[in-house]
Amino acid sequence: MQMMSNLKQGSPASGSWRTQFYLSRNTKIAIGFLLPSIVLLAAIILFPIGYSLALTFQSYSLVIPGKTGQWAGFENYLKFLGDKAFWAALGRVGLFTLLAVSFEVVIGVAFAYLLNAIRFGRRLLTSLLLIPTILTPVVIGLMFNLIFNAQFGLFNYLLKLAGIQITDGILNNPSTAFAALVAIDVWEWMPFIALIMLAGMQAIPEQPIEAAQIDGANGWQIFWQVMMPMLRPVLIVAILFRAAEAIREFDKVYILTGGGPGTATEVADLYLYRVSFSNWDLSYGATLGMVMFTLAMVVAVLYFFITVKRGEEQR
Amino acid sequence: MKKIHTWSKMNLSRYTYIVISLVLVLSFAACTPAPTPTAAPETSTENEAPVAESGWSKEYEGTTLNFIAEATLNTTILKELLPDFSEKTGITVNVEEAPYDSLVQKVVLDFSTHKGGYDIISMPYEYLGSFAENEYIMPLDAELSKDAASVPGFDTDNLIPGLWEASTKWKDHIYGMPSNSAVMMMFYRKDLMENEQEKAAFEEKYGYPLAPATTWAQYRDIAEFFTRKSGDTLAGETLTQDFYGVSLAGKRHIATVLEWFNYAWTYGGGLFDGAGQLQANADANVKSLEYWADLTAFAPPGYTSATWDEVTAALQQGTAAQAITWADTAGSMEDPDASKVKGNMGYASIPTLNEGDKKVAHLGSWIYAISVDTTKKDAALLMMKWALSEDVQLKLSQAGGLPATIAAFSDPTLNEQLPYWKQTMVSLEESRIRPRIPQWGQISDILSEQLSRVMVKEASPTDALNEAQTQLQEALKDALPVTAE
Repeated sequence: MQMMSNLKQGSPASGSWRTQFYLSRNTKIAIGFLLPSIVLLAAIILFPIGYSLALTFQSYSLVIPGKTGQWAGFENYLKFLGDKAFWAALGRVGLFTLLAVSFEVVIGVAFAYLLNAIRFGRRLLTSLLLIPTILTPVVIGLMFNLIFNAQFGLFNYLLKLAGIQITDGILNNPSTAFAALVAIDVWEWMPFIALIMLAGMQAIPEQPIEAAQIDGANGWQIFWQVMMPMLRPVLIVAILFRAAEAIREFDKVYILTGGGPGTATEVADLYLYRVSFSNWDLSYGATLGMVMFTLAMVVAVLYFFITVKRGEEQR
Repeated sequence: MKKIHTWSKMNLSRYTYIVISLVLVLSFAACTPAPTPTAAPETSTENEAPVAESGWSKEYEGTTLNFIAEATLNTTILKELLPDFSEKTGITVNVEEAPYDSLVQKVVLDFSTHKGGYDIISMPYEYLGSFAENEYIMPLDAELSKDAASVPGFDTDNLIPGLWEASTKWKDHIYGMPSNSAVMMMFYRKDLMENEQEKAAFEEKYGYPLAPATTWAQYRDIAEFFTRKSGDTLAGETLTQDFYGVSLAGKRHIATVLEWFNYAWTYGGGLFDGAGQLQANADANVKSLEYWADLTAFAPPGYTSATWDEVTAALQQGTAAQAITWADTAGSMEDPDASKVKGNMGYASIPTLNEGDKKVAHLGSWIYAISVDTTKKDAALLMMKWALSEDVQLKLSQAGGLPATIAAFSDPTLNEQLPYWKQTMVSLEESRIRPRIPQWGQISDILSEQLSRVMVKEASPTDALNEAQTQLQEALKDALPVTAE
């Protein structure tokens, strides 16, 4: 009787206890296997972060004599707080990320929806769509440098064919240069979002959609109210990766505009690069690096928090 | 709802895997490992040094030198000539070519970590102060003195004295020898200047005869005069594309900073005053920048993203009448395969503010220097002397490179063959150097940003140079007054 009641009352508990027991034993073995990798990763990741952090409190340059790692206290951090150029660059990359990722998501989801709807040639189209994403960013930069050339670029030529005559190159005007960089980023990364969303859409069970159809929902309602809620976790992960990537935008800007014209396209990482490798002020460069690192962490944690929280709400 | 949630939770992990693996694959694909210099083991012979009949020592036979130089025509030619050096001395040279920025970064990282990856380098002279003060490169006073051991065809007396001193002497010590005697000068379309129709039209419009500019006012008039639209006539022919009076570098890039120094110096300006104090926003500098900004009205579209490469292309493709640019691009103007203006280009000194003012030309030479971390100093020195020996200098010149010896510049055959030869030597004699202080990187960075702002009309010359003054004051606060430039 007592056994029976134990079984009845405690079966879920004993089940979880057993699971816990097996997990912890498995975990021990797993840790044993993982330990070398964890130690290696810690050395690769934690050491540079620790070293960079230490650098931020020093005065260190590879070309300016006498700056060999002297203690500088919070001098670099005070400099950062008052560094208008860096704040402006940060604002610029914020705007860049917001615009680029928004367009990528909207267009990417639309592409995914279309690809999901067609039956014939989907695989081929998906592969073709991926081409921009698998290109090296530097190659993309060099390619668009030729396309946007003011005198003999393809872009101005096409505009001319369309009857639009512009006297200057698109990269030579501060506002169009920024817009061009956003557009290139969308061209490059939109397929990434589209692919992930397509995979998500293909995995959606058909029952809820059929149920909605029977209830009389139209195409938009099915997309927005049935599919999107199911796709949300996938979408958030995609946005998270893209945002973390876009905040570190560097290659294309470096190749195409060098941060110019003027300061129009100087993004935070380019500024950081100039401080570290043109001015050789490695300690201040490390300080800005820590700022960028913290920012990326905050974004990541925020997204993580949102996804977990929403998951719990749904439960 | 619960069912949907279970589904999405279950699938999220699957998708997370997909996404993570995709991202990993993409990031690996995007990462290209930076090439690292490989230090080859030195296998110096212990045998008695054999000296070949040619007069070259084989003492260092079997040694391998690692050498880095800018990816330019000069380096390409030198690379082709190096087998001759290997044959004479038995020394092998690994040549690494890199663009300007990348070269400086590689060298600084190698020097500061004392890896000894490079034994001998060709470096831009503006880093001389920094590398010398940090003891990254070794002084070579004794090794390059007249009494030091020489090689056939090498004589220090043959080096252009001004060029040698300006580019390699820092605080009483010589740190190397010139590897590239780049200097800026004025390129102009000789055929257009000599065209009778154009000459008459110019004189009628401006009241004085058309001739290569000697003052900035003339340079501007010529630029304005020759700026024509497609369909207009130029030297009796109908243009099929727009033609421009001038080509200039206006990108946020060091090319823009280097070109501007010519205007600033000839206007009587410069970065530092007589006492070594900063004067970026001095009246003469502002005036020179105003002049330059006005010239952009006659430049091809896209000048705000132009560096020396685009300036060269515009001249070479026959779309611009004149430019202030680098002598080492003159070879490409006379290249029949690549140039549409072969034989039509004239070369002259950079104009001045007033007729008769002292001529100035921006020196851009590169120098050979030896790393303090090398264990192969003598072999490196041998290579340096070989590169500056007469035979190599002549071959370099014939192939379109720029030498650094008096003999090469006074060679009668070369003077006859190369229309830019005489002027290059004249410009080298007129040359002036940019600041070679350790803070050059910051100076260049700040100026390129501020000059670019003027070029895209984001700031007025006064505002931009005031901003440059403020930023430079901060960047140079520990270095002022600048006593050694």
